[in-house]
Amino acid sequence: MSILHDETQQEIAAETARVLGARRDKARLLEVLDRCGEWDEGFWRTAVEQGWTGLAVPEDFDGLGLGLTELGLVAQEAGRVISGAPFLTYGHGAVCALLACGDEALQDAWLPRLAQGEVRAAIAFAEGTDPIPLCPQVEYRDGGLHGEKAGVAGALAADIAVVSASRDGTPVLVLADLNAAVSGQLERTAIHSIDNGRLFANLGFHGLPATVLAEGDAARDLALEMQAQMAVLAAHEQTGGAEALMLAARDYAVERKAFGQPIGAFQSVKHRIAELYGLVEIARANCIHAASLQGQAGFLEAAACARLSATEAYDTAARDAVQIHGGTGVTWEGALHLHTRRARSLAIELGNGLFWEDVLVTGLTGVAA
Amino acid sequence: MIALDEWQERARAWLAQAVPEFGLAARAGLTQDEDLEVGRRYMAAKYDVGFSGITLPPEFGGQGLSRLHKVLFDTLEMQVAMPVGYFGVSTAMPLPILIRYCEDKAWVRERVIAALRGEEIWCQLFSEPAAGSDLAGLRTRAEGGEQGWTVNGQKLWTTFAQYSDYGILVARSDPSVPKHKGLTFFWIDMKAPGVTVRPFRLANGDIQCNEVFFDDVAMADSQRLGPVGEGFSVAIATLMIERYAASDADGFGPPIEAFIETLRPLTINGRPALEDGRVRGVIARNHALRQGLDSIRRRALLAMEAGMEPGPEGSLNKLFSVRSRQKLSELALDLQGAGGLSYAEGAYTKADWATSWMGAPTMRLAGGADEMLLNTIAEKILGLPQDYRPDKGVPFNAIPV
Repeated sequence: MSILHDETQQEIAAETARVLGARRDKARLLEVLDRCGEWDEGFWRTAVEQGWTGLAVPEDFDGLGLGLTELGLVAQEAGRVISGAPFLTYGHGAVCALLACGDEALQDAWLPRLAQGEVRAAIAFAEGTDPIPLCPQVEYRDGGLHGEKAGVAGALAADIAVVSASRDGTPVLVLADLNAAVSGQLERTAIHSIDNGRLFANLGFHGLPATVLAEGDAARDLALEMQAQMAVLAAHEQTGGAEALMLAARDYAVERKAFGQPIGAFQSVKHRIAELYGLVEIARANCIHAASLQGQAGFLEAAACARLSATEAYDTAARDAVQIHGGTGVTWEGALHLHTRRARSLAIELGNGLFWEDVLVTGLTGVAA
Repeated sequence: MIALDEWQERARAWLAQAVPEFGLAARAGLTQDEDLEVGRRYMAAKYDVGFSGITLPPEFGGQGLSRLHKVLFDTLEMQVAMPVGYFGVSTAMPLPILIRYCEDKAWVRERVIAALRGEEIWCQLFSEPAAGSDLAGLRTRAEGGEQGWTVNGQKLWTTFAQYSDYGILVARSDPSVPKHKGLTFFWIDMKAPGVTVRPFRLANGDIQCNEVFFDDVAMADSQRLGPVGEGFSVAIATLMIERYAASDADGFGPPIEAFIETLRPLTINGRPALEDGRVRGVIARNHALRQGLDSIRRRALLAMEAGMEPGPEGSLNKLFSVRSRQKLSELALDLQGAGGLSYAEGAYTKADWATSWMGAPTMRLAGGADEMLLNTIAEKILGLPQDYRPDKGVPFNAIPV
């Protein structure tokens, strides 16, 4: 895959921007912040209507057979308007897991429905401060899951989940149908969070039936591969968000006058915005590069680069754009905090900076932390 | 025209066979003057096989190929560290300007070929003691007109003027109009009476920069390049020529791989340095940054190959890569303890941490200071307003000193 986007890819980006721009509803996004359990369902309906849920699903399973590059472009536009219910990213994680497991019955059962947007997926790997524990505390025995996964994004409205667990001390990845839970097999405890639209919940498993997708080293490798693919999508979202903030700061600095001139004429302000431009373009370049390496050697390191630079870009843009907006930047109605919050939730969701630094440096040096 | 990749392979092969004669190992221990002579021989050899003047028109001794060819060749040439530094300014900026503005085309052709072959060297007489970033504030005077001109004043930071035969010069021809409008562009004979060149040492020990004094130096009107009063736009056109120069995500310092290998045998608190979280953070952050810059560069090449204009993000490279080089070099020296103290003046900046570190401040100033690059990004790419400029529209001779 080339790192120079072709016409189709440019069209996907432009059309996504057009569609999302037209349905942007800042009031609704602000409302969701106050309501634990609610989310941007309108975005999800749009994603399903537009076929984004099936973009990176193979054609054999009713998808469009495209890849991370195209889905990444959609994620970038979604990030720009703070859309993106968590399910585009995590649906893709589930698709990766199903494609890798080789179980045709499972694939036939779930992939077409994921492609059509009929089911929504969550991915539950993290435990405590460990984004991908080597030996998960959650246990898989007698065909069911036992234990708790905390802070799972999308968990409040997901239909299925891919969960990492241990079976007799060996790691496994399993697929659970959350809607099939009976009599207390599944507890979803909502977290009132900094970014309620992400639908965070603690998932308590008490014998929830699940099917094994991979085990042993294969389970660990698959978890990391899924994490990397999802992180590349999240990095696109972060880059879109960072760019939106950078441009908002630019617009404000051109408009707002102080001491007889636009504040953007002061170097302390304009240089800050120019630095943001640099961070955004570096993140974008890393995202494009990583997406182009999907399925090839060096993908993991490229994904780590994308993730690290996109997190830095979004966090820095969130801090600096608010600063440049002055008092307006910290009001509820000004709504910049939608980005500030999203920058944090996206940074936490798929492994923090230290995790990706270690993934990258272990890959580069062969020395583990 | 042969296919680009075939051409690139030919270039790679020719450079590989040139390494034993002209490469770093062959030049180890040479004085700068001796190194320059090797450089001249290399330039002649390169000219003879047709890798010189890649973008210049064939009727002037060039190859008439695309800027992509040039970027590709320059990148390969940089990787094998050929002795081309002395000719960098000489062959990049002055030649296209001469071709464009000088009327005696036969004379230009002679000069172009002599410069490409390394027989003659050109310098660029732009910056002055009181005019660096603010180039249009320069004070060197050119008085006269059609009957001829007289130059008086001083230039500063003129790279390799001590070896130069000719220079391109911007001077003030009319101090009674606003600063951008009173400049005129010339070529000048550096051996003419009244031209004095004084090399001075930079902080890292290099002797590349010069002060150049002009005392009643006579120039013919035929040495004028472009109309009287249009010198600033010719100067900007000159600076735009190098927009697509070979860029290096390592800021012409050592790559991350070198940092890793420097640290591999070292320990911190008795444990391998590469296991230290602080070190790992630095490696990861710098690698991610440079990987991003490198992807920007590769995307620009692909765009050029497809006949499109590369995006403006290419202008980020120097700003971000040199800052990364500076801090990474600092840390590489610190982590070696006493091993970081030794200094081999003139070592290759891509292979030596101390040289890279000592040279980094120069890189952050030369060819556009960080602050000017940020201004350019802010104003030209993002559309932010210009700085407040009290001298705007004021006749030059009415600007308070």
